[in-house]
Amino acid sequence: MTRKRFVILSLVPAIGLLATLALVSIAGAVWFALMNRTLRSPDYEFVGAYNFLRLLRDHRFFNALEISAIWELVTVTGTLVVAVLLAVLIFETVKKPLWRNLICFAFLVPVLLPRVAAAFIWRFLYSPSLGAINYLLSLVGIGPVEFLADPSLALVSVAIVDIWQWGLFFTVILLKLMETLPRDPVEAAKLDNARTWEIHAYITLPMLKGPLISLALVKAVESLRSFDLIFVMTGGGPGTATETLDLYAYQMGINMGGRISYASAMSILLLIVTTVAFTIIWKAGKKWAN
Amino acid sequence: MGKLISTTLTRALLGLLIIVALGPILWTVLGAFKELRDIVTPVPKLIFEPTLDNFATILRNPTIRDGLLHSVIVVSASVLIGAVLGIPAAHSLARHARRWGDDVQFFVLSLRFMPPVAIAIPFIVIYLDLGIYDTLFGLILVYLITTISTVIWLAVPAFERVPHDIEEAAAMEGCGPAEVFWRFSLPLAAPSLFGALVFTFVLVWNELLLALTLAAQNATLPVVAASITSLGKEVPWGVINAATVLLVLPPLVFIGLLMGLLNSMVRSGPK
Repeated sequence: MTRKRFVILSLVPAIGLLATLALVSIAGAVWFALMNRTLRSPDYEFVGAYNFLRLLRDHRFFNALEISAIWELVTVTGTLVVAVLLAVLIFETVKKPLWRNLICFAFLVPVLLPRVAAAFIWRFLYSPSLGAINYLLSLVGIGPVEFLADPSLALVSVAIVDIWQWGLFFTVILLKLMETLPRDPVEAAKLDNARTWEIHAYITLPMLKGPLISLALVKAVESLRSFDLIFVMTGGGPGTATETLDLYAYQMGINMGGRISYASAMSILLLIVTTVAFTIIWKAGKKWAN
Repeated sequence: MGKLISTTLTRALLGLLIIVALGPILWTVLGAFKELRDIVTPVPKLIFEPTLDNFATILRNPTIRDGLLHSVIVVSASVLIGAVLGIPAAHSLARHARRWGDDVQFFVLSLRFMPPVAIAIPFIVIYLDLGIYDTLFGLILVYLITTISTVIWLAVPAFERVPHDIEEAAAMEGCGPAEVFWRFSLPLAAPSLFGALVFTFVLVWNELLLALTLAAQNATLPVVAASITSLGKEVPWGVINAATVLLVLPPLVFIGLLMGLLNSMVRSGPK
């Protein structure tokens, strides 16, 4: 078999199938967004930009946009801050490889949990009447706190679960990366009597700038897939306090009367916003890392 | 003396961190073995009479059993097909396609940017029209987007780490590209590839949104678990905890492999 034939035979089925599925879903979404199709009736007709114009007057859509933006900001920064702080702490205080490995194993467990399982675990812990967290709070005279039923707390309470899963995971990655760094610059700084936090703030973390940017991007993409966690923990509530765009699109398209066309218009806007945003961040990140 | 206090403090802090990481899960495992009256107590109980009732309830429940079976079929089929199609493609991208390989890789990665709702909503209508809504085949088909792209994304670096000399020597001996791939690159990259498959398995095993929208009777375990908040009047916390444990077990089996995958990725330099 020639080289060319091997390349074609190996690439065409995989890339062809991926491209077909991606194209079908994007073309399908654009097509349905221009119609007035619902799940209830098989009849539909062309309505042009009507769905998009209605979105611009939909308060709930703008609320979902805002919640999604807050969610991205809180989970990405929260995850990175937790990961950097804990990685430095463990790097400085735990020197024995055995203990380090044990901590790494413990920190990898949460991210492996299915989102549905993590959501149930924390709903149980957050419960006002029988949750362990509220019991601990009651020992110091606080509570009971309605973590998931209070509109001002619900989003943060769900974000904490996300940071619990991903912050600890990124801690392990950062710790492993820090172990691979050359020791010389750190030794030199120690000879100059640099303090521990100075060494990390000015030497090790800047050396890890590239990987940190990649991690932030990975988390930003991952945070867009928040549906599972929020759906099980709050279902978007109380009210619309935790309703992100994917939850709203799901409620519109499937739960409430199946307004497929309206939900398609929303998912197209979501697709455009994320593609543009990530391409810009991707390019800027590459430039900044170099 | 000051040093002693600070080491004790850091030890306590690290202990606390391990509790934060594992405590919630262990608490759920405990809850799975409790009767409801041991769960609904004002003061959480650490000592109680363990019961297997919750596990018996979920394993006897036909919906949950079906969910488990569907999960096993859908996840293994989509990961297997993803591997068969994705691994050779990754080898070609890593070794034979230098000029446009980067563009193809960016396309594959960009599929991960796609919000799952943007896939789910058009597909629900297309599946209804084609008559494959609520079938395992339909679920496997959409999961292929995830499995093929993830396998390619993780397998390309695995093949890049295979030493060039070995492949070149094999080619000099007269091996065709397919033979080089099958007899040399594949066995050498196998440990990393296995890690990539495990990661892919965890991703689809954990998936909820697509299964929730594209299936009804034939849903997978996460969908079934998400829907058991109310069996009867009271919230059956014991049963929910047991279902959570069932859902959590398969991914956790692979934690050692994930650690190995991380180690090899970090050693080869960050992406």
